[in-house]
Amino acid sequence: MKNQVKQGFTKEEELLLQDFSRNVSTKSSALFYGNAFIVSAVPIWLFWRIHMMDIYSSLLLFVVVTSISTYLMALAYRNTKFSLKHKIAVKREEAVTKDVTKKLADDKKMSKKEKDERILWQKNEVADFEATTFSIFYNNALFLAIVIFVSFSILRTFSPTVNYTLSIGATSGLLALTSTGSQ
Amino acid sequence: MAKLLFFATVVCAVSGILCQSCKNPQVTSKSFTTQDVTIVTNVAYIGEFDVKCASGAVNALYAEIEGNLVPVSVVEGNKYQVSWTEEAKLAKRGDRVVRVFDEEGFTAVRKAIRAGEDASSVSELFNVVINHPGAYSGPWLQGEIVATIVSLVIAYFAVVSRSKVVS
Repeated sequence: MKNQVKQGFTKEEELLLQDFSRNVSTKSSALFYGNAFIVSAVPIWLFWRIHMMDIYSSLLLFVVVTSISTYLMALAYRNTKFSLKHKIAVKREEAVTKDVTKKLADDKKMSKKEKDERILWQKNEVADFEATTFSIFYNNALFLAIVIFVSFSILRTFSPTVNYTLSIGATSGLLALTSTGSQ
Repeated sequence: MAKLLFFATVVCAVSGILCQSCKNPQVTSKSFTTQDVTIVTNVAYIGEFDVKCASGAVNALYAEIEGNLVPVSVVEGNKYQVSWTEEAKLAKRGDRVVRVFDEEGFTAVRKAIRAGEDASSVSELFNVVINHPGAYSGPWLQGEIVATIVSLVIAYFAVVSRSKVVS
């Protein structure tokens, strides 16, 4: 039954659904996880060289915390992207329509429906790209700012191990949580 | 008793000849002061000087530092050294003139201080200048503060652009 309904969707409907979809493509997912890993691993340098943590004896902690943080950051990226994508799509609609119509103006063979589909597809692509990149920038900026602030001021007096675990864990957790809340 | 008195007189007479005070001393000095107070609290001043007398000899020397008289230590031969420390916050940059006295001068200064007179009126044997160019007490703005400010500015920019997109 479900399949039958799905089969019934037109291409336009599918594109519209994609606009509101929470699913991300494999490429996008790889981008999110790659970025989340890099940004989660960067603070290791800070705790190794500035807070003087021994890299070999704390290796297990680094791996565990970085893995958790990578997962949480990827979650935050995904949620932020989802919450922004549609809004960006609405904002870019006019410009995309204008652009695509201009491009397809000479093509007399193309039907109105096809042109609309093309516009919708293009709008989806633009919004997807913009939401993805902005979500990565937004979460990375907040993550690094909070980590630096917390580790240097609030948790300054704590031991580096506690400082590391709390600052990275709490920051990535907080970002993941706020990203789900602002849908 | 008479023998003892005679002995004392002889000792005094001999020492008077031997301890004839130094005339026209030629002083060459070099100094050292702490230049980096990032991990220390006090600034050390060390003045080291050679004294060559035109005539006579130098016996004990005393230095006046901030109104206090301290003995000058002998490093070797006619090489002397005077040193003291000051709190890093109070250590002024620039030249510090250390007045050096021999026994006679030392007694005169002590006497003047006791009598409540101005000790600067007593002329010193010579001066030693110690230059303190100032000490480095760490960067003006600490690295972590700069990092925090920069990252917060970027985060602020991110939040502002997000709210622009959402609105």
